[in-house]
Amino acid sequence: MTHPAEVIELDARGLEPPQPLVSILEAVTTLSPGAMLRARTDRRPMHLYAQLQERGLTCEFQEQADGSFITYIRHH
Amino acid sequence: MEASLPISATTNLTPTRPATGTSPLGLNAPAIKLPLAFMLTGLAALSVGASWIVIQPSILASYHYNQNVVALTHLFVLGWICSIVMGAMYQLVPVALETKLYSERLARWQFAFHLVGFIGMVWMFRAWNMKQVGHFGTLLTIGVGLFVFNIARTLWRVPKWNVTATAVTAALFWISLTVIAGLSIATGKCVYESTEGLATKGGVSMLITGLRLLAGFVSRFDAISAMHAHAHLGGVGFFTMLIVGISYKLIPMFTLSEVQSQRRAGLSVGLLNLGLAGSFIAILLRSPWKLAFALVTITALAIYGWELRAILRARKRGPLDWGIHYFLTAVALFGPLSLLAVVLSWPGLPLNTFTGQLENLYGFLGLLGVVSFAIVGMLYKIIPFLIWFGVYSKHIGRARVPALADMYSPRLQMIGYWSFLAGLVGISVGVLCGNERVIRFGSLLFTTSVVALLINGFKILSHAACPQIMPLGTSRSAKPITK
Repeated sequence: MTHPAEVIELDARGLEPPQPLVSILEAVTTLSPGAMLRARTDRRPMHLYAQLQERGLTCEFQEQADGSFITYIRHH
Repeated sequence: MEASLPISATTNLTPTRPATGTSPLGLNAPAIKLPLAFMLTGLAALSVGASWIVIQPSILASYHYNQNVVALTHLFVLGWICSIVMGAMYQLVPVALETKLYSERLARWQFAFHLVGFIGMVWMFRAWNMKQVGHFGTLLTIGVGLFVFNIARTLWRVPKWNVTATAVTAALFWISLTVIAGLSIATGKCVYESTEGLATKGGVSMLITGLRLLAGFVSRFDAISAMHAHAHLGGVGFFTMLIVGISYKLIPMFTLSEVQSQRRAGLSVGLLNLGLAGSFIAILLRSPWKLAFALVTITALAIYGWELRAILRARKRGPLDWGIHYFLTAVALFGPLSLLAVVLSWPGLPLNTFTGQLENLYGFLGLLGVVSFAIVGMLYKIIPFLIWFGVYSKHIGRARVPALADMYSPRLQMIGYWSFLAGLVGISVGVLCGNERVIRFGSLLFTTSVVALLINGFKILSHAACPQIMPLGTSRSAKPITK
């Protein structure tokens, strides 16, 4: 993976569903080309992936030791 | 903002399955139309059932082994509860267990079998035509088979097995046994003289012979005991098992908490299975062991209540909303239900008019108290989300969309809660006294709650017809964009 020009951090933990989804999708609209959003959620954001796909964005996710998830979203 | 931080530089990452590129987990749950079709069917059945009690309160004032009570019970159990539960499972199981539904097409076929099957069964129970009950029951069973296969294959894909997956698996086993037991009971009540001379060879002959053998086997058991054993398979094995198992995922999700003891959660599900297996046999055989297994089931529910309390005490979210209040009230009703279970399973309990009314109350509190109250609470979480996600997900971040709580009236939700509770109390008193007037009064209150739910349901569905989308940066009082 190439290094992104900019990484924006978003901590969406502690929010009741579907607020994490809303926060992340609102944040990705501000991503500039080459930038990456690093979003942390309490659970795997199952409904997010289809929305990112529909917006032409790619993502990777990684589960943390505490059960939370980090999703990396790139704007190409 | 953290500039130029490569992924490889991040810490505390545990190795997991990668989801790079266009995520394979993109479409997990089915399109909203399918769960919504099940849910609208459920709401229609609930409305018919509630109206039926208002019109004919004598149903609950007399002993339950008659055509009207059996028909009404199946309307509630199959039409209302199963429709909602199955529709919700197609939506929730993939999301809660982080996997993908095996086949949406099978689910659509199941809906068709389910709809025709349960309507025909209720109709034929009322006419007490057991042969036709068996035929429509077979259609319903085909649907249940598709449902069980579909969810089982979905569970096969679950990446991380947990207590919820165990409970869902157990529920699939018990629902299978429930419909097999139900069909066997229907077969036992059928007389196959009309088939004499028609089937002399081939598969039909074998089928008729098999059905006659089955009818002979079922007739060895007391009819009412067999009915009660069948009812417990469905009520405890399918509905209660799912309430317990699914809530270990949903309650932490909605209250921002975690399961506090996996051991306790696992024990509750394990004991529930043990209690039910023993109760099924003890009820069927009219054994004095009924009480012992009832106590095992009650212990399972007590452990469940203990864990639920711990989850709620550890929650990060402050006040609980009405949806959760509905659900927790349902769980609290396990208390009086358990007390009734102890009384009714007491060895040597005489069967008289009063104990007959207690049995009515037990069934009523179980299905319309615990299970229905819990379902209404969860519906207030599921239906708004289904519509909201289907209508607004594409607009999030691009336009201003309503919040979930803005899609229905919390006031109506509150009216629905109190009228549901008052209706339950009213009907329960009426059932205990065998008083039709009190039952009618209680059922009118219960119907008020159903009307409140329907109005709120209509409000939520209206977003599908007229989405409330506003440009970003506008206030909530601004006029929505016309789609």
